[in-house]
Amino acid sequence: MAKKDKDDDEFRPTGTIAVLTIFVITLIAIWATIYMILVGRGGTL
Amino acid sequence: MNQYQVSPAEKKFIGSHLLVAILALAVGSLFGPLQAFEHAGWDFYPYLKPLIKSYYQGLTVHGVLNALVWTTFFIMGFLTFNVIFGLKRPLKNPTLNKVGFWLMVVGVVTAAIPILANQATVLFTFYPPLKASWAFYLGLTLVVVGSWVEGWGLFMTFYAWRKENPNERSPFIAFASVVTALLWQICTLGVATEILTMLLPWSLGLMENVDPQLARTYFWFTGHPLVYFWLLPAYISWYAMLPKQAGNGKMFSDTLARLSFWMFLVLSTPIGIHHQYVDPGVSPTWKFLHSMFTFGVFFPSMMTAFTVVASLEHGARKNGGKGALAWIGKLNWSDPSVATQLLAGILFFFGGIGGLANASYNVNLVLHNTAFIPGHFHLTVATAVTLSFMGISYWLVPYLTGKKLWQPKWATIQAWTWFVGMIIFSNSMHVLGLLGAPRRVPLGLAPYVPAEWNSRLIQVGIGGAILFVSGAIYLLVMLKTALNKETVEKEVEVPIAESMQDPANTPVWLDRWAPWIYGALALIVLMYGPVLFEMISNIALNAPGFGKGPIW
Amino acid sequence: MSTQKMHIDSYERNWMIVSAVLLVLFATAVSVAAFGLGIQVPAPEQRVDPRTVATDPNSPWSNPGLREVAPGKYDAYILARAVPTWEYLPKEMTIPAGSSVSFYVTSSDVQHGFKIQDTNANFMVIPGQVSKLTITFDKPGTYNFICTEYCGSGHGVMYGAITVTP
Repeated sequence: MAKKDKDDDEFRPTGTIAVLTIFVITLIAIWATIYMILVGRGGTL
Repeated sequence: MNQYQVSPAEKKFIGSHLLVAILALAVGSLFGPLQAFEHAGWDFYPYLKPLIKSYYQGLTVHGVLNALVWTTFFIMGFLTFNVIFGLKRPLKNPTLNKVGFWLMVVGVVTAAIPILANQATVLFTFYPPLKASWAFYLGLTLVVVGSWVEGWGLFMTFYAWRKENPNERSPFIAFASVVTALLWQICTLGVATEILTMLLPWSLGLMENVDPQLARTYFWFTGHPLVYFWLLPAYISWYAMLPKQAGNGKMFSDTLARLSFWMFLVLSTPIGIHHQYVDPGVSPTWKFLHSMFTFGVFFPSMMTAFTVVASLEHGARKNGGKGALAWIGKLNWSDPSVATQLLAGILFFFGGIGGLANASYNVNLVLHNTAFIPGHFHLTVATAVTLSFMGISYWLVPYLTGKKLWQPKWATIQAWTWFVGMIIFSNSMHVLGLLGAPRRVPLGLAPYVPAEWNSRLIQVGIGGAILFVSGAIYLLVMLKTALNKETVEKEVEVPIAESMQDPANTPVWLDRWAPWIYGALALIVLMYGPVLFEMISNIALNAPGFGKGPIW
Repeated sequence: MSTQKMHIDSYERNWMIVSAVLLVLFATAVSVAAFGLGIQVPAPEQRVDPRTVATDPNSPWSNPGLREVAPGKYDAYILARAVPTWEYLPKEMTIPAGSSVSFYVTSSDVQHGFKIQDTNANFMVIPGQVSKLTITFDKPGTYNFICTEYCGSGHGVMYGAITVTP
């Protein structure tokens, strides 16, 4: 099992970082939009 | 191809799970689109009166069959396969597993009778004091107990393998499957307590009244980890199978994959109160603590996102994939099993975002019980899970039956139609929720619906229609495959991605069970102990039941 | 064999750090809203007997409605029920803009929900429990309050309205 290919060591997951960066930006944008709706509606105490 | 041979009897046993699962999906999915059509103003329920009395009976059938039966049967079948194939050893006690399976089947039938007789129109959350027929609660109990018994069969098999291989690192798919089965055993204690100490004796007339707040708390003890019971089998496929299918990629990190499964075991139960943020009878202190731990369980999902995407990228780069994102095109999209799971994964990113918003304590005030919630869980359980399971069945059914997959191009069309239909359906549900539309309401008839919701309600119907077509294609492909005269030339190869690092180098503490199990139990006692102690010591059994007649 | 060190790729390590920072930021924002801006979830208020809460003359829900407790400050006792028909009592309320209303909502039968559109009032109504949140209505208009939990075949018609006058 798990014979190491030489390209495994050289593999840098840059595409993964690209995908996840888009994800994080979307996450922040959507979450912040809903959070701002909450804050805009004011306190409940 | 020299892969481990699963015996024909075991293949048949695993296949029986898939058969029940797909039958449940077939019936349950008939009713999903009917809810969506109703929203768009195309109400078919009046025509169904002789069979199905109301929107809510249809919604109960849809929720119970799709969210509980399809998932549980598929999962128990898939986990059983993973344990046998992963460990390269037969079940230790096949009779025990068979007993578990049949208990589940008897349970489904027992619960289905009152549902179809309109005696259990209580939706899949069955919050008391809505009172269903006792047969409904008994049936659910049998399904849960049956799944426990099957789980014990898997534990015994794993234990036997460990005795035979004391020094070997456990194969990932078997390890992860046993963790999933274990999570299920722990978390179902909540709903088992709810049914056995309250709902079943109450519905049998042995108890007059219940405490609805306590019942909800028991329910959500199970209700949130239930989500992980659904998701983890899809994660197993994404981690350990999909990279192989999509381009011969290797699993990027065996270590972190295992760590994330342990984190799910430990963290997925002691956070259930995040479904009860707006319950009157739970203190905000515990609500807040559970919200912080919910942020914690988001962490292993983030790790999963990285490892899975990196494993896919690894394969795509070897096949000549270039650029920051263009490599995605080099994945093996023509394989329907790959297309389904990639599309499921893409929508799951959005499912995760919605889930994090729901779980964010007071942010839930904006979203609680709005159409945002079904919009959200149709991305998780109805896409990340369901579409992935469909994808798994595209290789697993040919593997189990020896029949060729019927018309793979139709299976690919199924993947894309699900994706497109779900985007339209789910997006409009999320937006409706933010505009204030409640869930579980026949919005086509509700008197308070403002005109600005109408265009979105139509989109819900259009999305539902596309999903209906996609579901029908899936069932057609499965049926035609089962009846296919063309058989596979040699046994279908089980896609297993090897690990980039030798699993033997994975730290040994990731293969020790006791500390994680004790940790999980300790955290449950810490996070639920005081809440339940307080509720049980102040129990007020004063809510009488309301059922058929006054209520539905 | 137990000496293996945990190996984590540097990209993945950075991703884990980003994830953790992100979650801490969200947790902080939530805490600021809760403890700084007073946007809170309901707390245990009172226990009642759902069998008598609507009929016992000592129960405020035997005479549900709006009570002015101070100038511009109101308590609203609201009964949610499915039997004999799906409704809130009272169904309609009128208050002047700028009023602050504490809603005390309970049920005499099954579980219900209570969500006032365009406000942060959104909670479960559970038999035996009293749900309370306080909302200030600054903008005149009509605010529907709707049932958000399945309570039987009339769930979809269960609603009421608050009129905020200028």
